Amino acid sequence: MSARKFAADKLLWETLGRWKRSSPELDRIQFLKTVPFFDRLSNRQLKTVSDIMFERNYDTDESIFEEGQPGAALFLILDGKIAIEICRETSTTRLAVLERGAFFGEMALLDDTPRSANARALEPTRTLALYRNDLNGLMDRHARTACQIYRSLASMIGDRLRSTNELVQMKISADTARLE
Amino acid sequence: MSNGQNLEEKERERKVRRKIFYLIFGALALISCGFLIWKLSILILPIIVGALMAFLFRPVKERFEVRWLPHEIQVLCSFAAIGLVLFFAFNTFRKHIPDEEQKLEFKVRLKYKLNDRYRQLVAKSPEGKTNAVTALLEKELGPLMDKMNQVLALNAEERNLFLKYAAGYNGKPPIQSKFVDYFRANQTTGKYVIPEETAMGAASPTAPAAPAPTQPPVAEEGTSLESKFSAWILAPLIFLFLGFDNGQIRRFFISLVPNRYFELSLTVLDRLDDAIGRYLRGTLMECFLVGLTLALGLILLGIPLGIAVAIGVVSGLLNAIPFLGAVIALVIGVSYALIAEDVRPLIPGLNPNDLALYVVILVVIAHVLDDVVFQPFILGGAVNVHPLVVVIAIIAGSLIMGLWGMLFAIPTVVVVKTAVETFFKELKDYRII
Repeated sequence: MSARKFAADKLLWETLGRWKRSSPELDRIQFLKTVPFFDRLSNRQLKTVSDIMFERNYDTDESIFEEGQPGAALFLILDGKIAIEICRETSTTRLAVLERGAFFGEMALLDDTPRSANARALEPTRTLALYRNDLNGLMDRHARTACQIYRSLASMIGDRLRSTNELVQMKISADTARLE
Repeated sequence: MSNGQNLEEKERERKVRRKIFYLIFGALALISCGFLIWKLSILILPIIVGALMAFLFRPVKERFEVRWLPHEIQVLCSFAAIGLVLFFAFNTFRKHIPDEEQKLEFKVRLKYKLNDRYRQLVAKSPEGKTNAVTALLEKELGPLMDKMNQVLALNAEERNLFLKYAAGYNGKPPIQSKFVDYFRANQTTGKYVIPEETAMGAASPTAPAAPAPTQPPVAEEGTSLESKFSAWILAPLIFLFLGFDNGQIRRFFISLVPNRYFELSLTVLDRLDDAIGRYLRGTLMECFLVGLTLALGLILLGIPLGIAVAIGVVSGLLNAIPFLGAVIALVIGVSYALIAEDVRPLIPGLNPNDLALYVVILVVIAHVLDDVVFQPFILGGAVNVHPLVVVIAIIAGSLIMGLWGMLFAIPTVVVVKTAVETFFKELKDYRII
């Protein structure tokens, strides 16, 4: 097949593909492309992932999940702001404020261990949720896509483990220096 | 009042309005659903059957998913494959459905054989003495045999038709002479129990006149049959549309759930789907294995392949009804064993005259295998329902919907039990209650 014909074919299929997808769906795929969690996926794979995601809207101050609840889904922020907080008896510590493109609750993709913090919307927020068992189901039907997501998850957890180790080492060194 | 307080007040009012709206909408939806279910009760069963078929079909659809093929074409291919299998199965099954001649022959043969067996059972000793067991059997089975004879007796039209077939009719060869002999013998079969009034003489003159036989409402029956038939068209339609569904229905229902219960509802739905799926597919597999055991056993006992498979299929399907399935399998198997002729068992040393006894043993073996091997290995501890609940559910199911009710009683109990258990567990885990 000549290069010209191939390019024409590609253009045709892309146009047809775009025509078939509704605009919100295309927007969602475009958004997913910007999330580091899915940066290894092709457009077709992103479409597959997008099909199994749930869009949820939260009002200001509405809780997304609470500390201690079993985790079931990963959340991506489409629009708005989310605060990650830990509540203790007398005080609430804000760990982070997340904005568009950020994700949280990713450990829920591995198992249903309880959430380690609260997530609360700071303003009207739109999120995309990826349910653990839907991702497991993807493993049977689109193993390559699921593997790439798990790989991203593993490398992200590895990064976090490394930074935690560094923090612990720094703390140990500081404690040792103080004792000496 | 500051601007912030004003906004807060408005937001609070909005929340109250939202709650009232949801309450009114929910109540209206419930009332409408109740009314529709009451009015369209005829559609419930086809919808359940269609949905159940789609539920059972889903793993097949997922297993044979081809990544590069659009979902709709894949589903169409799966439907085509299922259609082909059903077409061949139906064609094979149709060959074994008896025609008019075979039905008449079967009735004659059954009546003759049953009477023959009964006479052998209650035969007096050569000295003309009857023992206590024979007398008891005669007393208990006599009325039953009379009723059976009444049911199996050919009416005038059937008798004429049989005689026509006996001489060769409708392009078919004449019926075997032994069946004609059975027919003649059946004509002389009298009653085993003579009613006391008849024995005493004429019936009492004061006895009330028998009520005139009422004609069945033919037109009404026809309409009801028609509406039932049109309702059953829904089953394949539901199956088709649910088969095309690619998670949209689930997505729709989840979108209605408040944010607070989002993860909870996903988990509950998933656990429910898993538990019910495992139970239904396990039951189907168990029924298949019981049917296969019975069919193989019957073939070994020398029963023709077609009949053995038919008995296996019916008994396997009815095995889904606990307790009753085994009894029905026994009745069908023994009934056939009683009328079977020229049986040559494949297992050496078996006496063909004791076929009924072997069938009883076979049914017992199949059900012991079911209880000891199939159920624990296939269903495992998936669903633990108390036997008393099973019995009550079957009786309640039969009272509400007859045979279908009996068939769906246990799956319904399982669905309700799993739903309630999972729902309460998750509500506690999510600290909602």
